[in-house]
Amino acid sequence: MRIVKQLMAIPGVIAAGEYAYRGDRFSYEGALTDEFARMASIMCRANTLSVNMQSEIVDSFSENCGCRPVQGWIVRGNQMSVCAVGNYFAFIENRDELLNDVMTIMRAKVGDVQDDLLVNLYARLGGDTKEALY
Amino acid sequence: MDLQKMMDLPGALAAFTYSDKGELQSHVLREGTELTPQVLDLLARSCVANLAIAGMEARGWEALTGQSGFQPIKGFSVVGLEWSVVVNGNCGVVVKNRDADYEASFNAVQAA
Repeated sequence: MRIVKQLMAIPGVIAAGEYAYRGDRFSYEGALTDEFARMASIMCRANTLSVNMQSEIVDSFSENCGCRPVQGWIVRGNQMSVCAVGNYFAFIENRDELLNDVMTIMRAKVGDVQDDLLVNLYARLGGDTKEALY
Repeated sequence: MDLQKMMDLPGALAAFTYSDKGELQSHVLREGTELTPQVLDLLARSCVANLAIAGMEARGWEALTGQSGFQPIKGFSVVGLEWSVVVNGNCGVVVKNRDADYEASFNAVQAA
């Protein structure tokens, strides 16, 4: 939760949270209810899984092209944006320089996401997902 | 759309346009980059899909929570290990993560 607290200290960050890659836990701070934070965690996990799947396809055409493992994603809305890095997310206002600041902090604090991300994301599928994937 | 102008963004490795279906239509690649037109085509297709999904999620989120401010979606970015792709509408730009200015990139693809 330290990263979440650091993010929430930045003016313009509406809410921030952390979810388990396995999808069974989440925590958050900011202007969300428990139910909305649960929904946000599910949405962020699903999108992270999706972009990782896409990066695997891209990588199969151009190995080591620099796309995987995916570190995160951003949805830019009209007045708000959602940033996701690793298993952390932040809802932020579209203020000048805030997006760059939040992404810099999230990348620095979360660190490089490693290749085992997909194994953890797929962990609920059952069976030996590591063997199936690699 | 001025792809050369988008190549002036900090850390730009490629700029491209695509159809509504995600077919690559035009592109510029920085000399020496490992990106290929085939990779850009795949990126364009995935980004069209991601923009559509983000639009659906934004619509659902606003309807369920009563929060506003997401619609209309102004862009989507995937942050890879070394570079990020930023897209909106029918154009996109790939920027090196260490030089990336996400706000400028989103503004550029919005203006294009």
